[in-house]
Amino acid sequence: MKRKLSGILTLLLVLVVQIAFAQETKTVTGTVVDDQGLPLPGVNVLLKGTSTGTQTDFGGNYTITASPQDVLVFSYVGFQTTDRLVGAQDVINVTLKTDAAELEEVVVVGYGTATRQSFAGTATTIDAENLEVKSYSNVSQALAGEVAGVNVINTSGQPGTASTIRIRGFGSVNGNREPLYVVDGVPYSGSINAINPADIKTTTILKDATATAIYGSRGANGVILITTKRGSAYGEDFIEVDVKTGVNSQMIPRYDVITSPEAYIPLVWEGLYNRGVIENRADPIAYANTNLFSDNVVPAGYNMWNATAAELIDPETRMVRDGVTRIYDPERYEDLAFDSAIRTEANVRFGGGDEKTSYYTSFGYLNDDGYSINTGYDRYTTRLNVSSQVKEWIEVGANIGYAYSESLQNGQIVGSENVFEFADKMAPIFPVFLRDDEGNLVPDPVFGGFQYDYGGASGFRARPNANNLNPIGSAYYDFDGTNRHELNGNFSFDITITEELTFESTYGAQYYTWRNKNFTNPFYGGGTATGGDLFEWEREVLVQNFLQLLRYKNDFGDHSLEVLAAHESNEFERSESTVWKGLAVSPFIYELNNFVENLQPPTGFTEGRALESIFGQINYDYLDKYFLTGSVRRDGSSRFVNDKWGTFGSVGGAWVVSNEDFLSNNELATFLKLKASYGITGDEGDFAGDADFYRGYDTFNLGLLAGGISISPRDNGNPDLTWETSRMFQTGVEFSLGTFLDGSIDYYVKNTDNLIFDRRVGPSQGIAIITVNDGELRNTGLEFNLTGHIFNTPDFKLNVNVNGEILDNEIVTMPLEPSTGEPRILDTSNAPFAYSKGRSIFDFYTREWAGVDPATGAPLWYQYFDDINDNGIFDTGDTAIGEMTPYLTDNPEANVERRVTSTYASATNKYVGKSAIPDVRGGIRIGGSWKNLNFSTQWIYSLGGYAIDYQYGELMSDRFGAAGNNFHTDIFDRWQRPGDITNVPRLADGFDQTATSGSTRFLTSTDYLSLNNALVGYTVSENVLGNTGLDYVNIFVSGDNLFVKTARDGFLPNTSETGNSGRRLYAPLTTITAGVRVKF
Amino acid sequence: MKNLLKLTGAAALLFLGTSCSEEFLEKEPTEFLTTDQIAEAAELNPAVVRGTLTGIYSLMIETGTGGTTNHDDFGQKGYDIYGDMLSGDMALSVSTYGWYRADITEFVAPTDFTRQRNYMVWRYYYRIIRSTNTVIDALGGNDAVPELEENKYIMGQAKAIRAHSYFYLTQYFTEDYDPAAEILPIYDDLQDQNGPKVATSEIFNLIESDLNDAITLLDGFNRTGKNEVNKYVAQGILAYVKGYKQEWQAVYDLTQSVITEGGFQIMTAEEVVRMRHDGPDTTPYGGGFNDLSTPGWMWGIDLTTDTGLGLVSWWGQVDYFSYSYAAVGDSKAIDSGLYDQIPADDVRKNQFRVAPGTSTHLMPINKFFAPERVPFGQNPMVTDYVFMRVAEMYLLHAEAAAQLGRYDEARDALDELLSKRLADSSSYLAGISDEGLLDEIYLQTRIELWGEGKSYLALKRFRETVVRGDNHLSFVGVPIPYNDDRLTFEIPESEIQNNPFIDSQND
Repeated sequence: MKRKLSGILTLLLVLVVQIAFAQETKTVTGTVVDDQGLPLPGVNVLLKGTSTGTQTDFGGNYTITASPQDVLVFSYVGFQTTDRLVGAQDVINVTLKTDAAELEEVVVVGYGTATRQSFAGTATTIDAENLEVKSYSNVSQALAGEVAGVNVINTSGQPGTASTIRIRGFGSVNGNREPLYVVDGVPYSGSINAINPADIKTTTILKDATATAIYGSRGANGVILITTKRGSAYGEDFIEVDVKTGVNSQMIPRYDVITSPEAYIPLVWEGLYNRGVIENRADPIAYANTNLFSDNVVPAGYNMWNATAAELIDPETRMVRDGVTRIYDPERYEDLAFDSAIRTEANVRFGGGDEKTSYYTSFGYLNDDGYSINTGYDRYTTRLNVSSQVKEWIEVGANIGYAYSESLQNGQIVGSENVFEFADKMAPIFPVFLRDDEGNLVPDPVFGGFQYDYGGASGFRARPNANNLNPIGSAYYDFDGTNRHELNGNFSFDITITEELTFESTYGAQYYTWRNKNFTNPFYGGGTATGGDLFEWEREVLVQNFLQLLRYKNDFGDHSLEVLAAHESNEFERSESTVWKGLAVSPFIYELNNFVENLQPPTGFTEGRALESIFGQINYDYLDKYFLTGSVRRDGSSRFVNDKWGTFGSVGGAWVVSNEDFLSNNELATFLKLKASYGITGDEGDFAGDADFYRGYDTFNLGLLAGGISISPRDNGNPDLTWETSRMFQTGVEFSLGTFLDGSIDYYVKNTDNLIFDRRVGPSQGIAIITVNDGELRNTGLEFNLTGHIFNTPDFKLNVNVNGEILDNEIVTMPLEPSTGEPRILDTSNAPFAYSKGRSIFDFYTREWAGVDPATGAPLWYQYFDDINDNGIFDTGDTAIGEMTPYLTDNPEANVERRVTSTYASATNKYVGKSAIPDVRGGIRIGGSWKNLNFSTQWIYSLGGYAIDYQYGELMSDRFGAAGNNFHTDIFDRWQRPGDITNVPRLADGFDQTATSGSTRFLTSTDYLSLNNALVGYTVSENVLGNTGLDYVNIFVSGDNLFVKTARDGFLPNTSETGNSGRRLYAPLTTITAGVRVKF
Repeated sequence: MKNLLKLTGAAALLFLGTSCSEEFLEKEPTEFLTTDQIAEAAELNPAVVRGTLTGIYSLMIETGTGGTTNHDDFGQKGYDIYGDMLSGDMALSVSTYGWYRADITEFVAPTDFTRQRNYMVWRYYYRIIRSTNTVIDALGGNDAVPELEENKYIMGQAKAIRAHSYFYLTQYFTEDYDPAAEILPIYDDLQDQNGPKVATSEIFNLIESDLNDAITLLDGFNRTGKNEVNKYVAQGILAYVKGYKQEWQAVYDLTQSVITEGGFQIMTAEEVVRMRHDGPDTTPYGGGFNDLSTPGWMWGIDLTTDTGLGLVSWWGQVDYFSYSYAAVGDSKAIDSGLYDQIPADDVRKNQFRVAPGTSTHLMPINKFFAPERVPFGQNPMVTDYVFMRVAEMYLLHAEAAAQLGRYDEARDALDELLSKRLADSSSYLAGISDEGLLDEIYLQTRIELWGEGKSYLALKRFRETVVRGDNHLSFVGVPIPYNDDRLTFEIPESEIQNNPFIDSQND
């Protein structure tokens, strides 16, 4: 790693080595190594007080002529500068210590660079090392747990999925919360998968307004800056190869569902029995026995036992009787759908250059197969990065990356035909493979082997759940794959006009085409209706970004000043088309000509938006102690109709206290910086749907009806919609205590007003939502990042890093209700949350679950009422409260009491005192080295939040017969007989439809701790490498997603923004890889 | 140095020039169009103007118009199924995927305002109302009488559809006709904001004035397709409205006008059922209820591949021969009690499959079917939707005549229909007493119009009682009167929460 930094220093090599003359000069030699004992090339070795010096070679060796009274100064970026008196020594070996705060490290921020010391905002650069060890196809997933205040949501284990990233809480109600990616200085709207993490040199996260305001409208939700690798400009050509291979598997547990048919079938029987009791049937046992094996419950053909219902179930114990035998053993979907798969990745990188030109090029290959059958991601990437000082006054650069990828996502249809849905929710009495009437497997005349069970279509029997579908059959016989060609790059030229003044221009572009093919086979499942069909969609995106920038930079004694002014335009254009054809000639050719019938008219359209900006920035520095920065930016967006332009800006300052005389040479406070900033940023709304580009317009769908044009209303727009504005104040401190502890703490308050707000309307108006700019939201947060150097000896090092965020969110002002002219009291459009003044946008507002009636087993909720006559009971004269918040607003003196109700609709909607926002969340990294062995573990944690576990809710649902789904094993706690005290209602064949309706019943803590990554590596020592020609060899074993502890197995709060596991979740892969990294 | 500055300046201008124009920040959609884009197109293409009206008919069959992605959310025909099931005539006899189960068939939605099905019905009809208000507004408002013939016809259709939607809202959201009861918010202007419920009489005033206007405006309108409401369809809608209000003379006159002037023919036996062949070629023939051009159909929609309907459609729910839920375990069958009442020699008895013990028992496989008759076959849906038939006019006419005591006229009107269904309709009708005639007309209405969304209207108009047969999954044999709370939907939670002027259900 360190060696790569040598490139930066090559510029300094132009120093002419002069041999100073003095009495008694002698030749001093030595080796400079880092604190891990690795040689450091390119270290400056100077005679103190002169410009005379040399540099170490690639082995870290130097030779210099010096007098005994000379002092040698060893300096190297990122390391503490060290002085040595020559004296009598002829050999001086030096170990340079890492500069604890890495103060001089250059960080790329905004439209320029700053050193870490001078930067007034908060920018966190993540060690490439920490990201590289994680086996992900893109950088977004690897960011988990690395930076305080950055929440990485791994929404799917499907290889090649990009994570959702949230920086500093929830900036908007209905606007955008996505951060801006900037790659090599160009705003990036391509797929993050198109950038091979192995090509990334640094990843920096900007969080506060000083850092993000310069990006104006697009920086409001934080900025992720990615810089790709470059060649070095002086002769040090290198080859790096890394290869790793490993296994993807499902180690994170799924929901604990019933797997035994004998455990499941009595529950169905009991549901029928209870329904019979509720409906006052004469003989509920006979009713259950008669109906258990019937079309609407379990069709007789799915009775897998040598027994009738009466012979099977003992009505007393409600269990399967002893001695009942099976006709066959049904397979489980989970067992056949999931298996370990191989992941292989190889990257090779070349770089180098001379004093004028540098180059970097790479090739990467990734083969990443998921644990679910026929899912995976293959990718080839290449990058070429060249820059050249063509003339003294002009430097030209070009950086082009290309990625080709194929992803296969079979078996994940959004619908019933989904392997993940079946794995958890298909009752264990239903086999994967079809059985004939004797229980034998049925040969498949089409594909060979045995037929999958598609239910009724087989001609044997209909299945009361997802009849005519089988996701494993679909995963094998159908096809859902996407091929992507993705290009991204930029061309830049910098013209030096005078020494102080430069003109910089960059043209950046991202272009990609995606083609998805979705084939459904003609023999089994849904494709039988179309004779086999192929749905194809194609998407083409072009993003163009032009930047022209004038920069003035000068020093005036102790003052230094940088001023820039710029113009930038960004245009995003996306085209899509679809074709759907049926009647396949060959079932193996997934090309349109192989399908001979049109199933829908082809579709196609282009959409997009344009942004134009002018901006400027001033950076001022006095004595390296006081830093000031200010920026202003004006943005225009095509997404707004009447009011396109907004003005944004920021000011910030930093004071490096430790550079003051009174702290110089202080042993304890080795570094201390205070900083504060204030800024205004804008947001133009999200890009979730096609309609979002045109929210300002009333829009209409086009169609053909009765042979003519048909134009039907689509969305109602708001032409006055304009920028949402955030005002963020931040203050923070960065410090180092001795050599033991580094840390930083930031506190911010972010007020967002003119919120882009989807205001609900009483639907009788003919519309449901109007998007307006109204209301105000406040986010406050405290972020900390502490690194302790527990051991720091040459042989053994141990560092512990803890980061986290504590955040709070509150609606300060609600939008106006136009029919009353007053601010809205309550908006429930984001159920189970609600919006109202003084509340967080993620406070739960729902009905309160009150458990189960011990007498009947029926579900209960709380109904609140205004006890007007104050007698403690709900009776005549009292008012039932439907919605608590509006009621209390109208009746602040209400005497609120509650009682239990068995009618869901009568229960009261109210704030239940829990929030989806955790008290604290973040990451922990423990890492270090022992001799040549390095190791690290990275954990992420979250405490204090809640979510509704909908998937658990589905598994606890009482549905009709066996049609619904499998159960979670918690169903064993259900109410069974009068007097049972439990929190799980009776099973009654779907009688209690509202038992799983929205309430606090499934509200679950989102506390979690996960072992996100663990790594052990070994660096082969130079002694062993000897003359092999290898400079560096490191072998390692790394594991991702090794362990997760949550409130319930299968419940993975980290897979969605609000903390609930989604339906059909492809739970994150556990990946264990072994690899080797070699440098020539 | 000078050259350098020139170069820089030129480069800067070059790049600035690429974006600094007014148009750069103007972007318009192409997937769908904005009002301005449509106006611009309309200047050159008059078909675009009519397209905005046709769009209302599109909305009537579009999926998701109830504001959800549910597979029973596909416009008017979706709510026709709700009505058929609430009235008990359509039984969900086998349920696998769960659509309609509980919420409709066990009356969970009609008794719980938090259920989404309430929202869907409400959202859909008020969405249609808003789209008609848009058209009426563009033509000058409620009181305007457009000068251009073409615009007069557009205005007439928009008003008729607005009335149609308000009428269905009164049916689905009120238990009985009570002129004084405040039942629904009213919007007859595009600018109207959320408002309070107004009296039934006010709603019906609007409905009737809209329909009367429509009948006048549409006089002379020679429609280009049967998707469009013409004078006779408007009269038909008004006949239903008047029938609900028990104003029988008006029903009598309106239906008489449609029957004598409309030029429609009652569907023949061959058209209403797939016939068994008696000749040497035994291939069955006829039937299908799938073609808008059938002379007995007054109003409907011609579905084509371009309409783009698939599984989420009426056919996708009901037809065994389509890519449908009906084919994979959600059986929609005729109520067994109603089936038993169909006379044995009635051709309509053959509309339903008899196969006791199977999931297809009493399914309408010979009334509604895709012509290829491949089980689970048709996709996309190109068989048509029926909204109104002339048979309804004969039945309404018979009903009105009987209500007015003109029994012979009632029998004559009924015979016009039954002579095409029964071998000897005259003797059949002769056996029915004057007192029994209304019951017979109710029965014939249910049999003739089974699955067409009209049973629910008849139930309320005849003020009858639902008694479900034994092929229903629940409430078998339980009498439920027409004005039972379980037969009407609740004002949805979203309206109560978001309209500050509505905080109560209808009684």
